[in-house]
This record gives sequence, C-alpha cells and structure tokens, in this order.
Amino acid sequence: MQMHMTFSFLVQLFEHTFTFWWIIIPAIFLGLIVGAVPGFSAANTIIILLPLTLAMGEEEGLIFMVALYCSSRLGAGIPAILVNVPGTAGAAATPLDGYPMAKQGKGPQALAISFVSSTLGGLLTTIIVLFMMPYIAQVVYYLHSVEMIVVMLFGISLIATIAAEDTMKGLIAGFFGLMIGSIGADYIYATPRGTMGFLELYDGVPLIPALVGLFAISEAFFIIEGESILSEQGQILMREATWADTFEGARETLKRWWHVVWTSLIGLVIGVIPGAGAAIASFVAYQQSKTFSKTPELYGTGHIEGLIAPESANNGVTSGTLVPLLVIGIPGGATAAIMLVVMQYHGTTVGPDLFIQKPFVAYGVFSAMAVTYLLMALTIFPMARYMSRVTMVSTVYIAPLIIAFTLVGSFVPRGYVFDIYLALVFGVIGYIARKTGYHVAAILIGVILGPLLEQYFLRALKMSQGDIMVIFSSRIGNILWVCLILSLVIPFAKDWHRKRSAFREALHQGEKAERGGTVG
Amino acid sequence: MSSEPESHSGEKPSIGGDLIIPVAAILFTLYYFYSIIGAPWTAQVSAFFNGSILLILCAIFIITAVVKVARRHATFRFDTLVEPISILPKRIFLFLLTLGYIACLDWAGFTITTFVFLALAMLLLSGRERKNKRVIFILSGALAIGGYLLFVVAFERQFPEGPFEHAVKALIKAMGGG
Repeated sequence: MQMHMTFSFLVQLFEHTFTFWWIIIPAIFLGLIVGAVPGFSAANTIIILLPLTLAMGEEEGLIFMVALYCSSRLGAGIPAILVNVPGTAGAAATPLDGYPMAKQGKGPQALAISFVSSTLGGLLTTIIVLFMMPYIAQVVYYLHSVEMIVVMLFGISLIATIAAEDTMKGLIAGFFGLMIGSIGADYIYATPRGTMGFLELYDGVPLIPALVGLFAISEAFFIIEGESILSEQGQILMREATWADTFEGARETLKRWWHVVWTSLIGLVIGVIPGAGAAIASFVAYQQSKTFSKTPELYGTGHIEGLIAPESANNGVTSGTLVPLLVIGIPGGATAAIMLVVMQYHGTTVGPDLFIQKPFVAYGVFSAMAVTYLLMALTIFPMARYMSRVTMVSTVYIAPLIIAFTLVGSFVPRGYVFDIYLALVFGVIGYIARKTGYHVAAILIGVILGPLLEQYFLRALKMSQGDIMVIFSSRIGNILWVCLILSLVIPFAKDWHRKRSAFREALHQGEKAERGGTVG
Repeated sequence: MSSEPESHSGEKPSIGGDLIIPVAAILFTLYYFYSIIGAPWTAQVSAFFNGSILLILCAIFIITAVVKVARRHATFRFDTLVEPISILPKRIFLFLLTLGYIACLDWAGFTITTFVFLALAMLLLSGRERKNKRVIFILSGALAIGGYLLFVVAFERQFPEGPFEHAVKALIKAMGGG
C-alpha cells in the first residue's frame, strides 16, 4: 500500500491536484456557507448535489466533496465565534472561548486564530495520514466499544471542567443534558423512553434543534439587553481594528504551534473511529487542553488556547474520517458514506487494492484535502477582518436574524415543524440556564455524548453477556482509564500545588519583611 | 451569570431563578423513570444511573437553597431571570412573535413569514427610535428573499412553502422552466 509514496510521486500528486483549483475554490465558498448555517451540514449538501457530483468525473466529484467537507468544518466556527451560534455540533466547543474574545472586540484575532489553527490542524493531519495511513487505520481494530466508553467519558468529563466555576450547577446542567440525551427508543428493544408521546422523539433528541435552541435562540433573547454584542471596550477596539489585529491572531496561533499539533492529533485519532465525530473530538481536545494548560483559570474567558484546541481537533477529524473508508471500506461518517456511493458509481472498489490500482484517486483524496486547506488559508484569511464586523451590527437587527434563520435551519434535517418548536423549548431552557448561571455547553455535552455513551455501554454489556467488568477487560481501555483518572486529578493537584507555592511564597515574604524590620 | 447573583447591590441574592433548572430536572427525571417502569433492563440501566445522580444533586442544591433562605442569606425572588425589567416587555413580545412565526410558517411559507417576523421584531426592538423604518422594511425584505434564493432555490432545501413559494413555482412552470 505504501508503494507509490516517493517524493516525486508526492510532487506529481500535488501538481495534479492543484489543477483542480477551479472546483476547489467554489466548493470552499459553498462549504463555508453551509457550515455556518445550523442545519445545513456538508453531508446534507453533498446528498443534494449528488446528481452533480455523479455527473462529474470520479476525481472531480471526490475533490469537490472533500473541499466542501473541509471548508464546512471551518465555516461552522465563524458564527460560533461571532454570535455564539455554532454551525454544527462539531463547533459546539468553539464559542466557549471564541465568543468571549469577540465580545471583547477581538473578533479579527479570534477568527484569525480559528482559521490558522483549523488550516494547520487540517493540513498537518492530512500530511500525517498521507504517510502513515496503514498504521493509522489500525486504530479501527484496537478501539472497540469498551475503549470508546472511556473516550466518551473523556468528552463528558468536560462537564466537570466546566463545573469548576460552580460545581453543583455545572453537574446539574451536565446530568440534565444526559437525561435529555437519553430520550428516545432504547437501542436493543426499541422501548420508548421519556418521549412524552411524541413520535418525533422516538429516534432521540435531534441535535440541530438542541444546538439551535441552547446556543442561538437563548443568545438572541439574551443580547437584546444591550445595543451591541460587544462590551464598551470591545466597541472601541473593533472600531480601531486594523490588519495588525488579524495578523496578531495568526502570530499568537503560530507561537502555540505545539498546541495545534497535539490537539489536531486528538482529532485525527477520534476521526478514524467510525461513528465518533467532530463534536467528541472538540470536547475531548478542549478538556485536555485545559487540563494541561499553565493557565486553566483563563479558559472560558477568551483564552487563545481554548479556541485553538477545538478548532484544530475538529479539522483533524476530517482526514481521520476518510481513513477507514479508503483502507478498509468502512465509512467513518455520513460524508464518507456518500463518497463511497460516488466511488462505487464509478466502479471503484475501496480497500487496500485501491492504492495500487488507482493511486491518484486514493492518495488524491488526501492531497485534495491538503490543497483545500492551503487555498482556504489564502482565500479566507483576508476576510477575517471584514467578517468580524458582524459583531458591530446592532442587536436590533442581529437578534431577529438569528431567531428566524436558525429556527428554520432546525427544520431542515428532518423536515418536521415539531423540530422548530423543540428548538424554541431548548431556547427557553438555554435562556433560563444563562440567566441563572448554568452553562448551556454542559447541557449540550450531555445531549450529544449521552446517547453515544449509552450505545457503546450497552454494546459492550451485550458482548460480555451482562458482565459490568467488561469495561476493564481491555489493555488499551485500561490505559485510557488511567489517563482519564489522571486528567481528572491533575487539575486539582496543580491547583493544590499552586496554592501551596503561593502560601509558601507569602510566608517567605512575611519572614523576610519581619527580618528586615528587626534589622532596621 | 454569576453563581450568587445579586439583583441590587447591598440586597440579598435572589435564588428563585436558580431553582427552575433543578426543579425541571427533577420533574423530568421522575417522568422518565415512570416511562421506563417495566421496560427491559437495557432500557433502564443508563437512565437509572444518570437520573439517580441528577436527583441527588438537585436535592442537595434545593436543600442548600432553602437553608440559605431560612438563614436570611438569600431570597426566593426571580429577579435574576427578569432583569433588566426595562427589557422585559420587549423580551415577552419577542417570544410571542417567535411563537407566532413558528405557527404561521407551515401555512404562510418561509419567505412571507420571515419578512413579517423580521420587520416586526426589528421594529419592536428598535423601540422609540423608529426613524429607520424604511431600512427595516428593506432589510427584512432583502433577507427573506435572499434566504429564499439561497436556501430554497440554490440549495434546494425543503423549507415550509406558502403563497409566495407556490406563486414563484407556478410562474417558473408557466415560463416553461419547471
């Protein structure tokens, strides 16, 4: 499978991919739009445009889909930063630090950080995949239900991290989210649970209405308290914003290149696992980033690392999702599944032989991804300064706009008016939560990860015929358990150490002052 | 979003609003438990685990709140939820407008309903400064038509259809485009 991977082949591959710029650039802009509007996922758009992609040649069709997929991931972060409305669940961790930055008038910096970390994260993981695809594909064989339970718990433990501000409220919000997430028919016998008689809830709580309600609708009702989203200082900063601010965002990200590297690798590994997705990756990356940060107390206040982590991770997922598809023929997500349809339509069989029979198609998918990220950096970065001006628009205009377009967006995935009402209900919950100090992100984590955790947990129990100890039955799983416990304990240990050092320092200063006084 | 919200400086914090989420969580969890009585264990295990923890957390939170109020360290008022009071009428009307928007979407269609909702909501929020009425109507119309062109025409999404959408469809058909 590694046969053609020589330097000359790579150069040839990239040269070849660059000739498709005329497909990539329009797909980038299309992807940015569908990514930014809740309900308009890349997968849905690709399905709608399937007749077009099937009419194209195989390479053109695949490159179009890859470019749209990558750019939609980046697009989802833009409204998350500017107006606290994540375009997809994969960007749900982005506003935790992105939105506070925008409110402080650092919109251009925040967007630049998002663009640079997304581009670098996506580019880096794509290059890694190009060289190490056979090894990365092995992850699929090693991570099963048992290990996935621990991976899910990594994401869910972010609730505890968020709860650090107010433990009780954080935990109540998180567990409330987990309960809401378990609405729907159970996975084994399809028994309806907590559906209140609504048939529309038998498949579980749809994510987009939850996302729209908790973030967008509650935000719209919240921001009308002021004339602008921006703080007073923020308004001054935004009025005086220059290109230097945009470049400062890029510079700050490049200074933290190592942070981009390891958080995008989290995205890559999680992306390889079929069924896992960008939402899990970004929550896990954010949680890990905070755990190992020297300044964890700054997270949630507009911290650069808190924005880099989810953005690098959710773009790291994109290349990972396609690995199982191309190497073993298992689509890692909805977009990958549609790509499989297109490849099969053109008579291409996915699997190891693809790399020998059609290397330009197999490796071309990833080189298209790399080229998309490069072209995306060139086309979107200059727009950061202008896009951030959205934050200067009066709330008189922006609040109704958010309500109208996001509510209709929640209708799109399933076509039920019920989902719009559901979004409004979540909006009310979100509004009450915001006004009374409960974190909406904690509720959302529960809604997103709760059903997944239950699914993996039941699968593991089924396989072990009901033996609960199955969750400690795998070596990799046990290593992950240790890592999970460490990542939960480390912040407390660090905090304790910091307080102890501060106390000693104060004691030392006091003694010094006392001695000085005696001498004097 | 402080954990101990104080409605007015010097006054006791109002914690009535803080209890809404825990009370809602308790009611929902009890209903959820009721809905899975007699269900197979696979349908119960996760819910009973999460639900029990949630009930314990909520109970601790509510008891703590009651103790605070009993010791006169806080009050059961809902100030944090409704403040600033000056915005409250706008907020209630915006909520009613939103409800109306959803109710009308299904029969009046995306474009007309969105235009009416945007215009009314913007007029409502602009308050007494209605000097930009023309801007509001032009903007609302442009956004509604823009949304229709982008999402319905370009992306072919199934948005709720009404008289406008039907008329455009009929027009296109009459022109031989459909």
